[in-house]
Amino acid sequence: MEKVKKKIGSFSFWNWVTASIIFRLILIYFPKNLNLSSRPEVSTPLTSFRRLAEGYWLKQSFMSPYAGSMYHGSPLLLSLLGPLTINSLVSVIADVVSAMLIRATGQNLRLAYLRSLESLDLVKQIEVSEFLFSGDIAALIYLCNPFTIVACVGLSTSPIENMAVILCLYGACSRLIPLAAFGWVIATHLSLYPAILIIPVIFLLGCGPDSPPRKLFLQRHQQKEVLNQSKLPPRFSWGPVIHFAFWAFLWSVYVLVLCGISLKQFGGLWEMFKSTYGFILTVEDLSPNIGVLWYFFAEVFEFFRNFFLIVFHVNILFMILPLAIRLRHRPCYLAFVYVAICSMLKSYPSVGDSALYLGLLGWFVNELADMQFSLFLFCGYVGVSLLSPVMHNLWIWRGTGNANFYFATAMVYACLQIVLVVEGVSAMLNHDRKLRNLITGKPQDAKS
Amino acid sequence: MAETKEKSLSDEKPKPRVRPIVRLGIFLISHSFLVSVVCCTAGVLALFLLPVLAKNTYISENALMPGSASPMLSNQHVSDGNRLVKDLTNPNSKSSETGIESHKIIAQYMLDLGAEVSFHKFHPQMNQFHPLHFFSSPVSGKIQENYSCSSYGINTVGIIRAPRGDGKEAIVLVTPYNALKSGFGEALSLGIAYSVFSLLTQVTWLAKDIIWLVADSQYGEYAAVAAWLREYQTPKFSSLSTPNAEMCPDVNNLFELKGHSISGSKFSNSFRRAGTMAAALVLKVRDQNEQFEDTISIYAEASNGQMPNLDLINVVNYLAVHRQGLRVNVEKLWPLLNSSWLKSLGEIFESLAKVAKSLYPKWKFGIPATEYVEGTATLASSLYYQALGVPTGPHGAFRDYQVDAITLEISPKFSLDKVWRNDILLRGGRLIEGVIRSVNNLLEKFHQSFFLYLLTSPSKFVSVGVYMIAFALLIAPLPMVAASLYVDANSSSNCSKGDSSTPSAITDTDEHGIAIRSWRWLNSAKLVFIVHLWGAIVSLLPYFISQIPDCSPTTSFMIWVLLSILSLLTLNSVLASPLACAKATQEKEWALVKSVTISSVFIGLGLMSVINFATAEIGALLMVPMCLLARPLKLDVRAGTLRSFCRLICNLVLGHIAFPPAAFFLLKGMLDGFGNANVGDFWMWVESLWAWNSATYLFIDLTWRAHAVVAHQSCMMFWNLDVLVLSL
Repeated sequence: MEKVKKKIGSFSFWNWVTASIIFRLILIYFPKNLNLSSRPEVSTPLTSFRRLAEGYWLKQSFMSPYAGSMYHGSPLLLSLLGPLTINSLVSVIADVVSAMLIRATGQNLRLAYLRSLESLDLVKQIEVSEFLFSGDIAALIYLCNPFTIVACVGLSTSPIENMAVILCLYGACSRLIPLAAFGWVIATHLSLYPAILIIPVIFLLGCGPDSPPRKLFLQRHQQKEVLNQSKLPPRFSWGPVIHFAFWAFLWSVYVLVLCGISLKQFGGLWEMFKSTYGFILTVEDLSPNIGVLWYFFAEVFEFFRNFFLIVFHVNILFMILPLAIRLRHRPCYLAFVYVAICSMLKSYPSVGDSALYLGLLGWFVNELADMQFSLFLFCGYVGVSLLSPVMHNLWIWRGTGNANFYFATAMVYACLQIVLVVEGVSAMLNHDRKLRNLITGKPQDAKS
Repeated sequence: MAETKEKSLSDEKPKPRVRPIVRLGIFLISHSFLVSVVCCTAGVLALFLLPVLAKNTYISENALMPGSASPMLSNQHVSDGNRLVKDLTNPNSKSSETGIESHKIIAQYMLDLGAEVSFHKFHPQMNQFHPLHFFSSPVSGKIQENYSCSSYGINTVGIIRAPRGDGKEAIVLVTPYNALKSGFGEALSLGIAYSVFSLLTQVTWLAKDIIWLVADSQYGEYAAVAAWLREYQTPKFSSLSTPNAEMCPDVNNLFELKGHSISGSKFSNSFRRAGTMAAALVLKVRDQNEQFEDTISIYAEASNGQMPNLDLINVVNYLAVHRQGLRVNVEKLWPLLNSSWLKSLGEIFESLAKVAKSLYPKWKFGIPATEYVEGTATLASSLYYQALGVPTGPHGAFRDYQVDAITLEISPKFSLDKVWRNDILLRGGRLIEGVIRSVNNLLEKFHQSFFLYLLTSPSKFVSVGVYMIAFALLIAPLPMVAASLYVDANSSSNCSKGDSSTPSAITDTDEHGIAIRSWRWLNSAKLVFIVHLWGAIVSLLPYFISQIPDCSPTTSFMIWVLLSILSLLTLNSVLASPLACAKATQEKEWALVKSVTISSVFIGLGLMSVINFATAEIGALLMVPMCLLARPLKLDVRAGTLRSFCRLICNLVLGHIAFPPAAFFLLKGMLDGFGNANVGDFWMWVESLWAWNSATYLFIDLTWRAHAVVAHQSCMMFWNLDVLVLSL
């Protein structure tokens, strides 16, 4: 029965994957009509393909690709994607690869979860046969999400950045340490913010994928009064982490050397850091996007600018530590939360970032079954993603609205993301609490 | 076991102190029926109160300073204008077939004044609906059509360069003129424009260039102005994209000849431009005569319910009333003026205001009943034209380029009298002069006053802050009812789960294995999404149907209906037959479906209120009751009480009224009588809507979808009913 179900499931999975690819290919044929590549939601100064084409052109004519403050991405992308800027087949491929990696990671996570339930003897209480294939679901969410499709068709580099992040997580989950290090280095190199993913990756490598808190296992085995070491999750081991650090060092030296070679005539690495990371951190470009920083820094007095820059960036760093402590037993979930927080407080967010964390959310369908406000969040996302272009239209094309209209939707969007993160985290903690209750309540249950 | 369950429950929800706002929310949700009735009533009432709440207009931009300078237009200019009128109405000038002669005359007159003159050839271009162009800029992606050399129009454009300006800004004066069959009114409007133009060549205060566009209206006034604006705003740099008009030899020859015959260095064959447009005035004179006074009608509605800045209307109104003694008129919905129930409503409001005033003398919000009726009629027409989304005149073309523009239509009292003609030329000319002088003073573009407003009289308006209250009250019940339905559905399913043997396990499964408790709405969302998808397909179909040549409206409508049904069936079979699988679940899940539907309607209405308020308001009046009352018919039939029977009737009636074609026929029937209503008319109407890129079309589509969901819900129940009967 199980097998049949799985067969049907995988069959329709591939159906959906093909459908989404075909849909993308159809949309690619209408680039002019859709005009997506000029939408502020899709292409930010960092991810725009048009800017990349400009940088490529500058480089072809022996000028610095960063001249004129047009291009702010990596010089490696120029050499890789420069000749391919005409079509967005690259992003379609990147999307499919990411979806496959998400699927594999999700299957990994599901197996790990089942294993930990088994060792907790909770298999009967929580009907394992009802468990959804979270990998398939996550991959389908990622592929069929309108945000992903728009980011893919709209000629932006965010599919590639997302792929790097997913590659990193996949490598860490399946303990392919060089791959994880490569993904992490590339993701950091491309958009800086994934740097904080090093914490979940270390946890992943140190103690394996998501599982209920270690305390539970100890409790469980105390009840049984036999301390079966083999069933306990492994303690934190430093070996893979050091291995990871070594590989990360190697890959980053490699990437920096490559960048240095390609930018030798144009000011070298310092120029690159200034116009990529510096551009991200100092929020130089104040053109409207779906984030909240552009409006704020357009309003703030020049005198306070540096202060608020520090405040906003430290905001992300402040959240790292408490979350890492609370969710250290669930590193993948921690990664999801970090990605969501980054996409909220990023200096140039685009819908591609939300596509990433919404896809990752699919990994936890079984754990988050009791999440509250799901309908509200869904309607909120739908409403905001429709309202935001309308407000932009009202402001830019009709002239009857103003910047506040558009910024209001950006604020609502940020609030929705906050609600999503808060509810998600609390649902996950509730899930852990439920497992604990099941363990402590088990003897009574057996009696009755 | 029971203890465990309780414990786990209490652990899951550790009874926290409930915050007041949450408590308020819970209170509202639990009393959603009462709240929705109160809110809807209040919303409708507030809509009728809007004329009472209207404020007097005021000129918000200080730089305008209307009427601060005395008018300089003298009898000399008027006699100049008279000369042009005489020349144009002279039968000799009408002899030519293409009407080129009269354009020559006008160009010659302009040249004599020292203005730069050019002709603009254009081909009438149908507004093509393209589904993907709605949100893009008006300029991008215009489809180039095949031009034929036979049909083209000629706009004559005269430009005065401002002595004090830098050529960066301009004011546009438009006079539609049909050279082939021009009435006396059109000639007169040209005369007025000419007299103003001749004054403006002499004045020293001019800081913005003046463009006088004589729009060739033989293919419609709007088309001519839109073609000129398109050319003005999108310069063509490459020779490839020049329209084929240049290749028509006869046309070119004509112009060559003309260029020689009109000797002057300031005439040019190329397209002339001035700066960005600050404002535009379209001037018309109506041939019909007004009985009482010289009146001037203002038309302001542009496409999709956009309005020009209120200051422009204010300036015109102020100058016309206080300087030139003209009566200003805005469009009214005439049938409403005589309606007795409106009059009695006005009297009620008036008496209420009197009572209020007697209680506390500072409460002065009442207006007389007659004024109320007039205000309501104006408001209704304002709402109607904004909701229709079709511009009421050539000024609509300007709004697409963010230029504030209005149409002024002068309806004179007497006719064909020399003295009277001079008088109307003088007063009209002075009005235009005053408006141009005010706009000339502007330092920035219009931004001070309102863009979002409804007029209740030329000098009274309802601003966005006020009318949004009525709308918000009307749609406030939607999220509340959705939330209460959602909560009910969830809690009831939880209760039923409590009876089953496994505690806290996820048992709710259907054939797809979706076993997630708090995500159960996904099924209903899928259903709603599929119906919306169908709606989207149905709304895109006319684009393809219109490609079929030689189709009468009735047959196209029939094709549309057929294809719609076909697409529904295809969708049904392709996408895992949602209707069939929904049939089983809907029995118990109708509440969730309704909740999701209501949420989607709420999102749609909220969105529409930003795009086009009037459409959203009218749509909300129709859809909110329908959505709130919708309930499976079978349940009502089964209940068999009087109350459920009433609800059933309401359901059926509302469901049919809100069906767009039905609503259209009902309205048409009421206005024209049911005898001559025809299915094809609906097609024509829809065609006209999408030709103007009207958001109303999208909205009808939304209505359609919502209706489809509700209808589907009801019909499923019918089906079930049949099955039941059969099984019995």
